[in-house]
Amino acid sequence: MSALIEMKVEEARPTGVRQGLTEEIETTDMALFVRTSDEAMNDWDRQRIVDALIRETYVDLDTAKEIAREVEDLIATSKIRMITAPLIRELVDTKLVERGLEQARKMHTRLGMPLYDVDQLILHPNKENANVPHGPEATNLTLAERIKKEYALLSVFSQEIADAHMRGDLHLHDLGFVDRPYCSGQSLEYIKRFGLSLPNSIAMAKPAKHPEVLLAHMVKFAAALQSHFAGAIGWDSVNLFFAPYLVGMSDRELEQLAQMMIFEFSQQAVARGGQAIFTDLNLYWEVPKHFEDVPAIGPKGEFTGKTYSEYMEESQRFAWALFNVYLEGDGSGRPFFFPKPLVHITEKFFQTPGHADFLDHICEVASEKGNTYFVFDRGETAKISECCRLSFKLEQTDLEDARQPWKMRYCALQNVTLNLPRIAYLSKGDDTQLFSKITEFVEMAVRAHLEKKLFIEKLLSLGEKGPLALLAMDRDGSPYLRMHRATFLIGMVGLNELVQIHTGQEMHQSRQAFKFGLKVIAHMKLLTEKFGQRYGMRFVLEQTPAESTAYRFAKLDLRYHSPKSGHIVKGDISRGEVYYTNSTYLNNSAVLNPIERVRQEGLFHPLIEGGALTHIWLGEARPSKSSLANFVIKTFRQSQNDQIAFSPEFTTCNLCNRTSRGLRTSCAYCGSKDVDGITRITGYFTKISSWNKGKIGELRNRYRNDAFLEQREEGIVLKAG
Amino acid sequence: MGSIKIFVKAKCPKCPAVKEIGMELKKEGIPVFHYDLDTIEGLAEASYYSVLSTPSIIIEDDEEREVISWRGVVPSLQEVKQVLFGANS
Repeated sequence: MSALIEMKVEEARPTGVRQGLTEEIETTDMALFVRTSDEAMNDWDRQRIVDALIRETYVDLDTAKEIAREVEDLIATSKIRMITAPLIRELVDTKLVERGLEQARKMHTRLGMPLYDVDQLILHPNKENANVPHGPEATNLTLAERIKKEYALLSVFSQEIADAHMRGDLHLHDLGFVDRPYCSGQSLEYIKRFGLSLPNSIAMAKPAKHPEVLLAHMVKFAAALQSHFAGAIGWDSVNLFFAPYLVGMSDRELEQLAQMMIFEFSQQAVARGGQAIFTDLNLYWEVPKHFEDVPAIGPKGEFTGKTYSEYMEESQRFAWALFNVYLEGDGSGRPFFFPKPLVHITEKFFQTPGHADFLDHICEVASEKGNTYFVFDRGETAKISECCRLSFKLEQTDLEDARQPWKMRYCALQNVTLNLPRIAYLSKGDDTQLFSKITEFVEMAVRAHLEKKLFIEKLLSLGEKGPLALLAMDRDGSPYLRMHRATFLIGMVGLNELVQIHTGQEMHQSRQAFKFGLKVIAHMKLLTEKFGQRYGMRFVLEQTPAESTAYRFAKLDLRYHSPKSGHIVKGDISRGEVYYTNSTYLNNSAVLNPIERVRQEGLFHPLIEGGALTHIWLGEARPSKSSLANFVIKTFRQSQNDQIAFSPEFTTCNLCNRTSRGLRTSCAYCGSKDVDGITRITGYFTKISSWNKGKIGELRNRYRNDAFLEQREEGIVLKAG
Repeated sequence: MGSIKIFVKAKCPKCPAVKEIGMELKKEGIPVFHYDLDTIEGLAEASYYSVLSTPSIIIEDDEEREVISWRGVVPSLQEVKQVLFGANS
């Protein structure tokens, strides 16, 4: 049990106690009682303080006894009528501080939250993550997160790293989930082959015989994984791996299954903290080259005797059906927030019959609802996308694993994001200082990764009896979480502002400023390679989604680097809606034609191995499917951009349940003011009412490419420089 | 004619041949810039021109616009000269 003990001074205390304790009075003479967290009433016992100090710190017994006696004396002589365990602990801590025992005080820290904060939390929504609704389950999640955050900063990370996080030099993501890896990519083949046999589960399910059961296994496994990862759960080649189960199904049946899949994943508001599972479905029109000759697994987990190349038709029909459902939207015509469909565009895509129609189909969805993510795998590269924009390029060993696709399980262990504008403020315009500070910051991120890795390895070493039993489970000769294949992400926020502070211009304002931005990222990329070689770990750059980090860094820099920062942060300072431009993006408000933004931002993408994405904010525009298809083809052929997504805006009415295009203050159908705006926040759609102030500021600034795609379709030219 | 940009890496078997071409052209007074992708400057410049493989050669005009490029391949000195003279004439 925790030390959540409440102590009350009894109404009628013996005179001796009221007058103060002496050395001679024993603790049992104190008529205090203690209410423990296991709902028992215990007598006051000074020895408990001694025991706690000996158990939790390195102080010697004599000192512990001395402190206990002093605290007891203080309590006895005080007029306090109700004594709580946190108060006792604070009094003990004061005694430790008085003796200069700072390390002992740290070890003796009590984690928790002030009553006022808990009250606020229960009453008001949490805006740090727009994917957390407001409710009792969400409150539980936030409370747990707060304690784990404190634990992480005190116990998992060194003081140097924890301080860097708190200062805002860098951001350690998902500290509230410190005892889990960050995000992951799965293969359906694992549950097709092994069924659903989870550690700690009271029932074991054999491999599915029917597609509906496979879907049920997938959803349950995703929920189990959500409890073991902080972020996204991605699934590779979903339509292809379902295909052997779909033989002989009619279009109507297929569409029904597609509908079940999308609704199952979009209505998971009963899972962890009421959060929908952040799910990515990776889809292919073609049979990916690395799966062509792979023996297919079908019902009962048995090999069907065919290879996956023989299931292309079923795979394509299912992909088509999924997009039919996306096109229709939910019961109110709103876009589905999850699962996110990521369609991989490859050379083979364009060689596969029917690709033009399929491209039109997914572009119609992109224009109408915005769901489609276009992932560009150029040349021989094969990738798996996992979280927002995080993707992994499959290496030679992975391609060998592709022969046994259930082995294709990947994870990113942690994400650490650097505050790039902070580096520029500190460097005061000096190039040498700037690049040396970048090195210093990257090195701190690497140390943070080493510390987290050590912690996770400690948890995993407890195996199937430990807290990460699911990740330690071994069904195919290796643990589910393959640590040797883990990636360690280093993200960045505010490259644009770093360049602005250092050169006086934003990246879109001059070629020189843009090239300077490339130099910064090139430096970071070379550093990750160097540290990777030194530690034998995969450090890669990632475009952090930074839903709240861009806001947090801007706020902290306004505090520490004012007045300079006041001229740099984006948004509206008077409203508190401040932010830094995300990752390597160009200024959100810069008036750039979309293809030029895609091309220019794409020049950074080959340096960002962890994956990158360009947003095209559509606003109210509703481009035709053919103009978007044309845009997608041009992006694939004439740029280096890794991934694009088109983001329309919607207003949904809570009264008449209808959804209209654009952001409005009242319903376009019934005039009700009870409406919610919906658009993409970072890597997913959500209601704007749940956004933090920084993101609201960004939303106001976003340059919408209204009707541009239609008007200029013929004039779009891509060229360097 | 503007300049020639040559992109190389230390561990790249075909790069010495491109470096030689660069030296020959330099002798003839043509501005040649070398970029090593293992350095910050080199990698940044390569990214700007979407150079993903080495060796690569890019010929630019006075406005720093790309006239022609060879990416991941080694042209003959003759080929490069042909473009340069053609563009000059």
